Amino acid sequence: MAHTEWKDAPGLPDFSLLKRLARDQLIFLLEQLPGKKDLFIDADLMSPLDRIANVTILKQHEVDKLYKVELKPIFVLMFTDLVNADKVAGRFRRYKIIFTPQKFYACETVLEEQGVYGDVTTDEWNFYILPLDDDILSLELPEFFRDNFLEGDQRWVTTAGSALRLLQSVYGSFSKVYGIGRCAKMVYESWRELMEDGEQRTRQPEFAKVFLVDRDVDFVTPLCSQVVYEGLVDDLFRIKCGSVEFGPDVTSSDKSIKVMLNSQDKVFSEIRNEHFSNVFGFLSQKAKNLQTAYDKRRGMDIQQMKAFVADELKGLKQEHRLLSLHIGASESMMKKKTKQDFQELLKTEHSLLEGFEIRECITYIEEHINRQVSMIDSLRLLCLLSITENGLLSKDYRSLKAQYLQSYGIEHLLTFANLRQLGLLEEQQAGETLTVMESKVGKLVNDKTVGKLTDAFSSLAKKSNFRALSKRLALVPKSGEEYDLRVPRDMAYVFSGAYIPLSCKLIEQVLERDGWTGMEEVTRMLNGQEFAVTEARSKTDAQRIVLVMFLGGCTFSEISALRFLGKERGCRFIVVTTAITNSSRLLEALLDNSA
Amino acid sequence: MAGILYLMAFVLQKESQKADEYLREIKEQSLLSEAVRQCVEAAGHEHEPETQKTLLRRHFTYRRNDNTHWFTPSLSQLLSLNFPPEQFVSMCRDLRVLNAVRDYTVGIPLTHTQFKQMTVQVLIDRLVYRKLYPLAIEVCRYLKTPEYQGVSRVLKHWACYKVQQKEESDEVIAKAVSVKLADAAGISYSEIATKAYESGRTELAIKLLEFEPRSGEQVPLLLKMKKSPLALSKAIESGDTDLVYTVVMYLKNELNRGDFFMMLRNQPVALSLYKQFCKHQEQDTLKDLFNQDDDHEELGNFYVKASYKDQRLEARVALLQSAVDEYYKAKNDFSAKTTEDEMRLLRFQRKLEEEKGEQLVGFSLHDTMTTLLSVGLHKHAEQLYKDFRVPDKRFWWLKLKALAEKEDWEELEKFGKTKKSPIGYLPFVEVCIKHHNKYEAKKYVSKVTPEQKVKAHLAVGDMEGAAEAAIERRNESEISTVLSRCSATTDHLLMERLNRAKATAVKK
Repeated sequence: MAHTEWKDAPGLPDFSLLKRLARDQLIFLLEQLPGKKDLFIDADLMSPLDRIANVTILKQHEVDKLYKVELKPIFVLMFTDLVNADKVAGRFRRYKIIFTPQKFYACETVLEEQGVYGDVTTDEWNFYILPLDDDILSLELPEFFRDNFLEGDQRWVTTAGSALRLLQSVYGSFSKVYGIGRCAKMVYESWRELMEDGEQRTRQPEFAKVFLVDRDVDFVTPLCSQVVYEGLVDDLFRIKCGSVEFGPDVTSSDKSIKVMLNSQDKVFSEIRNEHFSNVFGFLSQKAKNLQTAYDKRRGMDIQQMKAFVADELKGLKQEHRLLSLHIGASESMMKKKTKQDFQELLKTEHSLLEGFEIRECITYIEEHINRQVSMIDSLRLLCLLSITENGLLSKDYRSLKAQYLQSYGIEHLLTFANLRQLGLLEEQQAGETLTVMESKVGKLVNDKTVGKLTDAFSSLAKKSNFRALSKRLALVPKSGEEYDLRVPRDMAYVFSGAYIPLSCKLIEQVLERDGWTGMEEVTRMLNGQEFAVTEARSKTDAQRIVLVMFLGGCTFSEISALRFLGKERGCRFIVVTTAITNSSRLLEALLDNSA
Repeated sequence: MAGILYLMAFVLQKESQKADEYLREIKEQSLLSEAVRQCVEAAGHEHEPETQKTLLRRHFTYRRNDNTHWFTPSLSQLLSLNFPPEQFVSMCRDLRVLNAVRDYTVGIPLTHTQFKQMTVQVLIDRLVYRKLYPLAIEVCRYLKTPEYQGVSRVLKHWACYKVQQKEESDEVIAKAVSVKLADAAGISYSEIATKAYESGRTELAIKLLEFEPRSGEQVPLLLKMKKSPLALSKAIESGDTDLVYTVVMYLKNELNRGDFFMMLRNQPVALSLYKQFCKHQEQDTLKDLFNQDDDHEELGNFYVKASYKDQRLEARVALLQSAVDEYYKAKNDFSAKTTEDEMRLLRFQRKLEEEKGEQLVGFSLHDTMTTLLSVGLHKHAEQLYKDFRVPDKRFWWLKLKALAEKEDWEELEKFGKTKKSPIGYLPFVEVCIKHHNKYEAKKYVSKVTPEQKVKAHLAVGDMEGAAEAAIERRNESEISTVLSRCSATTDHLLMERLNRAKATAVKK
């Protein structure tokens, strides 16, 4: 069940270097204010900061008290109050605001407007990348998705460019860059510009190919329910910054336990990429093995026992602890997920992906909304329906929306406006006029031109074209064939064999072709904006390490799929993402009741 | 000693034996190297090139002697040990520069000490002040000053001077500057352009800025020159959001509101950035922006959002009314109707809150009905159901859940009989089981449709019923489901029957 380690896979670069760089810079900034100091930290920054420099390190550099600050836009205002209160009280302190990953001009404007600009010094902590695991690097910018794709605010583009430059300066330059999407293109340009400004370093590159992909190229994948262990843990318990908090129902005690989930965890690293249905069997086998290992004690003489306690016992204990945690977690998953409703939910999703029995699906979604099963899940199904069907029929669109508003309140009118803007939930109207237009034009000119016109129209209508894409790229395997999830055939295993993630399929195809040639139709359906640039030639092992950057977040399922692809092709993928996402995070970012 | 050596040189030049004598004298005092050093230095202090040459030649004198073993070995060893050539070389270079600037056409009579004191940088500065650009460049090249501090700096000064020459036309100057500066590294065109602007040549400044490769550098000057539209587009071109912000904020204070909005309108990137800013800082400005664009859809959304920030009901309804008007203008009937419904709902909730004291305002329609049912206000719930055209299915689900929650089984049974359930009766069974009431659940099993019979029986734990239903329907998967639920305690006969039925079902 555990996959044999691929024979000639290249080793991964050491990313702990990035952590050390960030830590050193932070310490340097702290040391610039000598003496005791209080530190106020944005709540969102707490977990990433903890991964870089824990409390002990901060204390060593004379940080006296730590305060957590919730509510982002208020931060500067709260700061103003603090300064003014001190002034009134006649207290003298020095203030410094450290912005991370970079300082924006707007921040200074606000400070100026509040009249405290002269009282503070500001600085930047260029903490761009947090390595979450051996092959996952995160920019920890969950706001990237909404800011960039919904609000049209491109401030994070430079940040992403800077992150790439950082990687390049530490790990050597890339020989080939591929990308698709508007944002990807902008990030690439920003990165190029940064490189021209900075000094050039020529060293042996540790990875040679980069693939940049916009989240809005593929919305289908993050909207599907995850069924791979790591993804499922994320969906159910929410992995935050590489660690998860298992509640009492998992730990079978009365307190919660925080666990780091990465390749250091021997048990987890073996099951993280597995389809959920296999996990339980694997864990019980593992438990048996563990028991055997424990049983070795019997019949040992004193000397052997001593060796056993010294060498093995600690490891076994550790493994035992982890194993019981993961068993607890999968039990709690089983309880939630093997229930009838989850099976039906999955069935509906698969039907939508296949474009099969759509009426039944709509009825199911209606019931889902009417019963107030889950606000986010209902929304997710609606979006999935719209994308896979190229928009909803006018009648359905209105009735489903009305029902949703009845269930969850009128403020979701704004949510729907957002979803429409992103093309996640739309009304089918261009489609009808399109066919009319087509038939009219068809009488006048020959077929080939009609084809071209249709393409032009459909790109105007910003259609998702999922069905056509799925056919061309064979994303949905033929139904009726048994899919053995224990021996995955292709990347579709991450969705129970029902669907190959579009984003990963694109990456596979482009790497195989070494560019976009032969995929013109596909890129046209994805609204173009693809590019492939050769920067330099290199013929090293590094060729087989591919950096994939997701702009707007990526899911654990996609990471699992890429790991699988790497294994098949004897290469390795490193995922750089603006943040780890899943369906809930994606949709929550588009709700509009908070901001 | 240097004096003696100097003398010796003269003698040597004349190939005289006397030289040896002089040398020996120096050697006796073991000070030859010192003497050589002094010679080189003396050359530095000499203003007459011929004398400099003589003094410097001493250096070679001893070296040549050294090579030919003209002297006793001990002396030559002494000599070879001590005298590095660098000093000599650099002195030669310095002297050359000094001689050049001492020329009467230049007229900077510097001593070597003065020169060392004030450094090359300052010398170049002085040349630049005297507008002796070609000489300055030659000096830089000759002394191999790094380009950034040397040639480029001089060129920049030249260009700054050039742009102030009033008699030449903009085109000519711009061309001359670009040709000269083309391959010099680290030139900041924006600085030159600033100079041009300061001497009143705005057009030239703009032309020069075109040569600036970093668009970010162009922006501050463009702003200064009040070329704000150009500044804005350059900022956007640079791809640096921060810069765009800078310009936008500057423009906001500089222009009147109307002009400012008009300018943003033509720059979508800047506009969306500014909208972001307004969302956090100035809500009202946002409204004005939408107003200007006649974006009724967004205005409607804006009012809806605002209505949720306001606590007072009157204000909320008023805001929603504005939203309705905007939605109609935007021809978005759906949103307008929904918003009208919401206003009706709010009024209804308020009325009931006053009458019955139930907390209702702000709930969604669904939640309102649930609350009403749970406190037994069935009539009012029914009224909502009719007034808001709630789909039957939703209402049934809702009432079913609410009644079960209250464990009001009697009412539930009555409700189940009012008419044929649009959601079927399986949910009735399931809901009862969920609340651990098997007795009530069984009442509904018979009403369930044939397709759901097996499920219903299984839900209430009636294995026999389930088996009957499954066998009757001859459905293989259903039979299997029932079988899988059988345990050791189940009747063996039943299991046999099931297995047989399964076999025949498979055969079919």
